[in-house]
Amino acid sequence: MQFDKPATTNPIDRLKVVGQPVHRIDGQLKATGRAKYAYEWHDPNVPYVYGYPVGAAIAKGHIVSMDVSAAKEAPGVLAVVTALDVGERKKGKFNTAKLFGGSEIQHYHQAVAVVVAETFEQARAAAALVRVEYAEEIGAFDLKDAMKTAIKPKDVGGAPPDTAVGDFDGAFKAAPVSFDATYTTPDQSHSMMEPHASIAVWDGEALTIWTSAQMIDWWRSDLATTLDVEKEKIHLMSPFIGGGFGGKLFLRADAVLAAFGAKAARRPVKVALPRPFMVNNTTHRPATIQRVRIAAEHTGKITAIGHESWSGDLPGGQLETAAMQTRLLYAGENRMTAMRLATLDLAEGNAMRAPGEAPGMMALEIAMDEMAEKLDIDPVEFRIINDTQVDPEKPERPFSHRDLVSCLRLGAERFGWSDRGRPASRREGNWLIGLGVAAAFRNNLLVPSAARVRLDHEGVITVETDMTDIGTGSYTIIAQTAAEMMGVPIEKVVVRLGDSRFPVSAGSGGQFGANCSTTGVYAACVKLREAIAQKLGFNSEDATFENGEVRSGNRSVPLAEAAGSEGLAGEDTVEWAKLADSHQQSTFGAHFVEVGVDIATGESRIRRMLAVCAAGRILNPITARSQVVGAMTMGVGSALSEELAVDVGRGFFVNHDLAGYEVPVHADIPHQEVIFMDETDPYSSPMKAKGIAELGLCGVSAAIANAIYNATGVRVREYPITLDKLIGGLPDVT
Amino acid sequence: MQQTGRIRLILNDEDIVLDDVPATGTLLDWLRLRRRLTGTKEGCAEGDCGACTVLVGRLLDGDLVYESVNACIRLLGSLNATHVVTVEHLAAPDGALHPVQQALVDHHGSQCGFCTPGFVMSLYGLWLASDRPGRPEIEKALQGNLCRCTGYEPIVAAAEAVAATRPSAVFDPIERTRADVKEKLAALAPRQTIRMGEVGNRVVIPADVGALAEVLAAEPKATLVAGCTDVGLWVTKQMRALDPVVFINHLQELQAIERSDGGLTIGAGVTYTQAFAALCEMVPALRPLIDRIGGAQVRNMGTIGGNIANGSPIGDTPPPLIALGATLALRATAGRRELPLEDYFIEYGRQDRRPGEFVESLFVPAPAADDRFAVYKLSKRRDEDISALCGAFRIALDHAGTVTYARLCFGGMAGTPKRATHVEAALRGKPWTEATIVAAAMAFEQDYTPLSDWRATAAYRMLAARNLLMRFYLETTGETAQLHRFEEVA
Repeated sequence: MQFDKPATTNPIDRLKVVGQPVHRIDGQLKATGRAKYAYEWHDPNVPYVYGYPVGAAIAKGHIVSMDVSAAKEAPGVLAVVTALDVGERKKGKFNTAKLFGGSEIQHYHQAVAVVVAETFEQARAAAALVRVEYAEEIGAFDLKDAMKTAIKPKDVGGAPPDTAVGDFDGAFKAAPVSFDATYTTPDQSHSMMEPHASIAVWDGEALTIWTSAQMIDWWRSDLATTLDVEKEKIHLMSPFIGGGFGGKLFLRADAVLAAFGAKAARRPVKVALPRPFMVNNTTHRPATIQRVRIAAEHTGKITAIGHESWSGDLPGGQLETAAMQTRLLYAGENRMTAMRLATLDLAEGNAMRAPGEAPGMMALEIAMDEMAEKLDIDPVEFRIINDTQVDPEKPERPFSHRDLVSCLRLGAERFGWSDRGRPASRREGNWLIGLGVAAAFRNNLLVPSAARVRLDHEGVITVETDMTDIGTGSYTIIAQTAAEMMGVPIEKVVVRLGDSRFPVSAGSGGQFGANCSTTGVYAACVKLREAIAQKLGFNSEDATFENGEVRSGNRSVPLAEAAGSEGLAGEDTVEWAKLADSHQQSTFGAHFVEVGVDIATGESRIRRMLAVCAAGRILNPITARSQVVGAMTMGVGSALSEELAVDVGRGFFVNHDLAGYEVPVHADIPHQEVIFMDETDPYSSPMKAKGIAELGLCGVSAAIANAIYNATGVRVREYPITLDKLIGGLPDVT
Repeated sequence: MQQTGRIRLILNDEDIVLDDVPATGTLLDWLRLRRRLTGTKEGCAEGDCGACTVLVGRLLDGDLVYESVNACIRLLGSLNATHVVTVEHLAAPDGALHPVQQALVDHHGSQCGFCTPGFVMSLYGLWLASDRPGRPEIEKALQGNLCRCTGYEPIVAAAEAVAATRPSAVFDPIERTRADVKEKLAALAPRQTIRMGEVGNRVVIPADVGALAEVLAAEPKATLVAGCTDVGLWVTKQMRALDPVVFINHLQELQAIERSDGGLTIGAGVTYTQAFAALCEMVPALRPLIDRIGGAQVRNMGTIGGNIANGSPIGDTPPPLIALGATLALRATAGRRELPLEDYFIEYGRQDRRPGEFVESLFVPAPAADDRFAVYKLSKRRDEDISALCGAFRIALDHAGTVTYARLCFGGMAGTPKRATHVEAALRGKPWTEATIVAAAMAFEQDYTPLSDWRATAAYRMLAARNLLMRFYLETTGETAQLHRFEEVA
């Protein structure tokens, strides 16, 4: 299916199942522990053995030699495979750092060996016996230093690194009110609950692999490249995933090590990356340094807005696109953005939930708060004054649908925004109380997505697509989509996901999964409807699918009967034509936060949170709300505690576990509320839905920062906002 | 080594006999890899995330108690004569969910689902412990469970719904077998010392404290394991080989709490959960610290004796215990000796524990009625985090308001938990005034040379130590500067 013009009325608009608060269909499996994650696949007849990884102990340099003799002689050891053994490998398309192979060490904890043994304990014990001699080289680990030699890349994900409209410098200088500040965001860790894990089973040249992957086809392609086998020989499965947040978008070392280990040991091998490997072996959200400049008239109208960002990555890597949203979010005739990439020899920086916008909004939305204060305009109003219905860099391009203003106004009303006072003006006992707001913004991305839908003689609809459910609710919304399209109750739909034998879907990333994968299912259902109509001799245009029957004129046939003993199937791929060129598709929201800051200690506590989101049709208010609430929680960590500490001498992240990388605990999280604007966006897809999962994170941390400022009068521009950054500026206790 | 005896336990509804237990094997790996009970998850392998939470039933003073524990760091050898209950045991045979599971489904407390079984088990532990838990109790029960994608609000909502309605559990796997299990566990307590494994991989479960002393006399380098909350990490994070491993968590003689007029005697094997109940009764000011040590799982496993014996500079119990003037009893075959707790810590990694000795008990004297006492823990995250520093303060004043007694002890400021003797001297005999505090605070530099690590810089630690003294002073004069998260919990 080519989606090339805005959607008109279609069966989804019936909203009998889609849009309804359907409970997660995999909820029972998860509450009983029966959902099987990567490491848990098991055939009692298969003699699985265990692989344990060895990571590089230096950040940059080369392996001079490896001594694995003690490890090989350790009890139970079946094989030791080293990076030198497998030699230089071709790198997959999506990775920057090499996962395994060759003597070069690009970052700390890069995999240098896997030890395979009969039991897990034996493999772990033997892994400690591998000796490696390194030739260490001096690396760069400090972004503040490395930014001085940062480069301007040719492009950033297809977009230019710099944009300029009008005369930014001139307008900035000429404006009656202007503001210029620099913000920093730290390196952050996905820290999803399930660490990376894979099981590899070879049968001759064919490889079966169970893993924890957000993108089945990307993993399969890159694994084929790295192993130098045909892609078709690899069968990759990932039906349940214990969270990803971008950390499982791209092939990871566990899959490669399991495959090499299994080959060497001639046994099926399970490899899990220990928790500390998640931080220094895989990817993380890179730190940024961001400069934001805003100039405006006294009325609050922005006349110039500029956003520059610096981030680092390994040579050949990519930058964090933190200035991207500033190209689209607010009006202003004169504008500039620029993004620069520094070289750092830390683990690979790459996508983490809402890459670009998450850290970008952390800076921009504090700057908007600061500018509003300078103008003496309410920050909600300041944002509304500068709303735009067109792409401000290309005014001929309207937004497909943009309702930021309503999000702000409704949120302000519901949250009691009018109670907000001047900074440090509200105190309850030892608590300084403050309110903060930020806009939420994240683009809606469109990725091709395919599905196959089958109807059997019992009237059961089975959907097969390699789409993944990383906790997002894909199983449920895909079942809703098929039920709606085929006119059956959701109990009649079986959804099978995360298997490379199924048609290639959008996968889970960039908040495109829900809209794109359900549209792929929609397209396949259209094909199935056509096949059913054709078989029955109905004109498919006239056929109505409802109550388990297909009806045309005065004829109606139960689907089970229409299927016949052979059953029927439909398969299709949605391809996205150029609608996004003429109309900018984005999602919008407003975050409101109330905090308390202890006047004596500077400890910050969130008191309540509200998100109002405008993201097209909400396919399932339960799963959508869960995504937003979870994102708000992640935003609390991002604002208050999450920070990978860099050892700039040795070149690694020090707090590489959940004891040291402080994600929020439940006592940090108080009342949270989410409101969805009732809207549809026909430009996005026949589902008229857009992404929501990342929108929920964008802006939250800035709203918290702004609330802390309102509470204390202390402006912190370096995340996370810990008490030491507040304590010196707090008002007197008495 | 000659094998004597075997490890016996109950797993869900199955009697288990093990005669080959790896010395450093964890309960989690055994459940997942050997028993194929994969509902219990590994999130961190260090007792932080709670995805591996299971319940362990044991006899305590003749009662059968079930406590949530972290299976990831709980060594398998520590489970003799216990009943291990995993998430697979909860639903009825016909598949009907237990009310705590159903509530998580109904309130959308699960997204990726990886943390969910752990939350289920923590909530089930709470279900068993409390009929109508309030929010503070719920929060405490869930303190040791992390979730990264759902956020916590729906999970707490599920727990509150269960608490509000207390649906009848048609099938409650533990209640229905309680009497049987109690009888069985009583029969499983070892009557002779259990020994298994070859050199390099030996497990010893002494029959009693006398046998423990003999084992240690013969093997002075043995690793003693009580709660596994520290040694578990030596295994999962440092990949250390330990041999032999001597389990002492079952020794009832080390689990006595004796109250006397002079104070409390606490056996080295008493868990935090048990010890804190008694300690807080005697010294209510300990409560704010105790609520912030680990999560429920860690407090149910970790022992007071272990927290002292391992000699960690950032253990949370030594600073207040030293400030309270606690003394330690060490035992060996040769006999028993006592020493002030502060003298036990010699330097980083070195304690006054002679070959063959083990920590037997701790005596905590009751403070005088008008003593002022407080303890403050500073950590980057308020709950479930390791201290950057922990300071305990105890002073006594005479009628004129002069300091007659001062005892201050800090963790995180030196290589061991250490008293601030110079500050104490600067306080003693002085009026309890702000001027005295300001002057005395300067003496911290003579007491401590803290190090910088990623938890805090040396400068921060020094400044915070001074400020905590000021905070203590302000609180004795009526100011309050503490967040009370769980104040409703009795």
